[in-house]
Amino acid sequence: MRNASIRVRLTIWYGGGLALIMIIFAGALYLVMSRALENQIDRSLDEAAVAAARSLEEHRFGPFLLLDDLAQAFPELALIDKFFQIFAPQGQVTLQSANIKTRDIPLSQTALESALQGRATFETVRFHDEIPIRLLSYPIRHGETLVNILRVGTSLSPMEEMLSRLVFFLLIGSPLAVAVSVLGGWFLASRALKPVDSITLAAQRITAEDLTQRIHTTAPDEIGRLASTLNDMIARLETSIRQIRQFSADASHELRTPLTITKGETELALRKPRSPDVYREVLESNLEEIDRMSRIVEELLFLSRADLGQVKVASLPVQLDTLVQEVQMQAMMLGKDRAVETILEHVEPLQVVGDEWRLRELILNLVDNAVKYSSRQGTVALSLTKTHDTAELAVKDDGIGIAPEEQPFIFDRFYRTDAARSHVQHGTGLGLSICKWIAESHHGTIEVTSTFGEGSCFTVSLPLLSPA
Amino acid sequence: MRILIVEDEPKVASFIRRALEEERYAVDVCSDGIQGRDLASEVAYDLIILDLMLPGLPGIDVLKELRSGKVKTPILILTARSEVDQRVKGLDAGADDYLTKPFAIEELLARARALLRRASGETLGILQVDDLILNPVTHDVTRGGQRIDLTSKEYALLEYMMRNAGRVLTRTMISEHVWNLDFDTFTNVIDVYIRYLRNKIDRGRTHGLIHTVRGSGYTLKATDA
Repeated sequence: MRNASIRVRLTIWYGGGLALIMIIFAGALYLVMSRALENQIDRSLDEAAVAAARSLEEHRFGPFLLLDDLAQAFPELALIDKFFQIFAPQGQVTLQSANIKTRDIPLSQTALESALQGRATFETVRFHDEIPIRLLSYPIRHGETLVNILRVGTSLSPMEEMLSRLVFFLLIGSPLAVAVSVLGGWFLASRALKPVDSITLAAQRITAEDLTQRIHTTAPDEIGRLASTLNDMIARLETSIRQIRQFSADASHELRTPLTITKGETELALRKPRSPDVYREVLESNLEEIDRMSRIVEELLFLSRADLGQVKVASLPVQLDTLVQEVQMQAMMLGKDRAVETILEHVEPLQVVGDEWRLRELILNLVDNAVKYSSRQGTVALSLTKTHDTAELAVKDDGIGIAPEEQPFIFDRFYRTDAARSHVQHGTGLGLSICKWIAESHHGTIEVTSTFGEGSCFTVSLPLLSPA
Repeated sequence: MRILIVEDEPKVASFIRRALEEERYAVDVCSDGIQGRDLASEVAYDLIILDLMLPGLPGIDVLKELRSGKVKTPILILTARSEVDQRVKGLDAGADDYLTKPFAIEELLARARALLRRASGETLGILQVDDLILNPVTHDVTRGGQRIDLTSKEYALLEYMMRNAGRVLTRTMISEHVWNLDFDTFTNVIDVYIRYLRNKIDRGRTHGLIHTVRGSGYTLKATDA
């Protein structure tokens, strides 16, 4: 049962329930029918007895009264299915109707005693292998004295026959009805569960390799809702698996470039003996690439830990203006080679809640980018201003800028603009993704405005520390 | 033999260029898809090494445009993606061979040799005209069993002439296939190198192999042919 299919279980429950109802119904029907028939018989016996008694009284209880006369006087008494007996108060038969059978049925003690007290008695007499007989012993009294006891009887055979026909009908009919309804139930269950089977088949076709398939939904019923829920889930799975694939493809591409360089340069150097200067050059270049790979790996690990929610971000008051000033000092060093100057524009003393270390990383990343993409002798401007209840940090450069069609993607992992590819060699393509993550983990936003060829401005908005 | 490298990662382009130059090929490098396409359509390269990830114009489009522009130069694609469909797309778009990054430099050189061999219709891997033999793998040149030492430019010139043995080669053709873009075509460097080669190959022999075609250029062939 536990392993049986829903279809089988539904059918068994359905059939079982119906069989139980049929049994109760049949029992009740039998009881009600037999009771009703008995009542009907008793009522007709009573009517006959009352009529006979009245007739006896009219004939002054003439002892020689013939029952046939009575029958003639009351045609309704002359029914073949009833017989009459008249007993003396002591219990001997004084007169009985002609249709009485051979067997002599004596007046029972209880009937006699009840008759003496003036009460009528119904009895059912059953002999072995014979049809039971229903008897009514009816006292006929003259004043307070019992004159006669009138007994009316009738065979119960028509009733028995009727009841046995009913039982026969119920015994044959009920299982038949149950069987038909079980078949019907099976059919209905199959019909209802057919969409479930087709969902199962469809779901089996859908694997991690091919998530483009969908379950075909037809009706807006429960099954249809289930199917569309599953479809939504598959769509979400498809999206996230595609993102994971894209991410790992991008990651392997980013790692492959430094690998190609280190492998190629090393192999080339080893083809024949070279001067120490050549080896030195190759080693220096390889070291650069190794640094690049470690940075990629580190940043990848950071982002995947961030995705899993494993990166802790402190919630302490942070003095943003101090951070901005510190980063500006570092940026002056970064820009020295290319004479890029980093200046502070308007810096207000503002406090936010967050992780000082991460926020420094965020600002430094942005400033580092700005310096990298600035033109020689360019200027990077930092400003920190209060807008409503947010602190707005802006990092502005006069560098190469970002083409409008590329702006929506620059925060995507591994995305690098065409210009960035040819301009700077040591980016990992992950810096801005990390900036975005840090800004968002501080309930803030990061945005960019840029004019291609003229420069870019990155703006980070962070909620201000509300005065306690 | 002249080769074009289209690769945006300067360090990758640089070591490939150095490796090819050590093999005495004339090499040009460009880092952008559009520039690569234009160069490849204008100059008669013997081989193009093309990265698929390029700024300007994706490598696959460079391939398609070159092939639809009837450029028949053998093209070797470099891809950083190990996915099969990238390579299939590249080959279907008209590439002759591919290499997945990172690759072994010797494999790149061997594939380059194979593509050049296929393009010149030679199958043995060894070039021979009369009793002059050139081995592109070892760079050994012998005539009548005698080893001939050549400078790399002389070697490059000889390899080109042997691959095109019997054809008349104009100075323009020679300059296009043996020198790279840095070469100044208004000098008589070609004539000078032809003289060097003649000195090393034909001097003191009963019949010369390098012939001057008056008014056109030069040809390399066996005299009795």
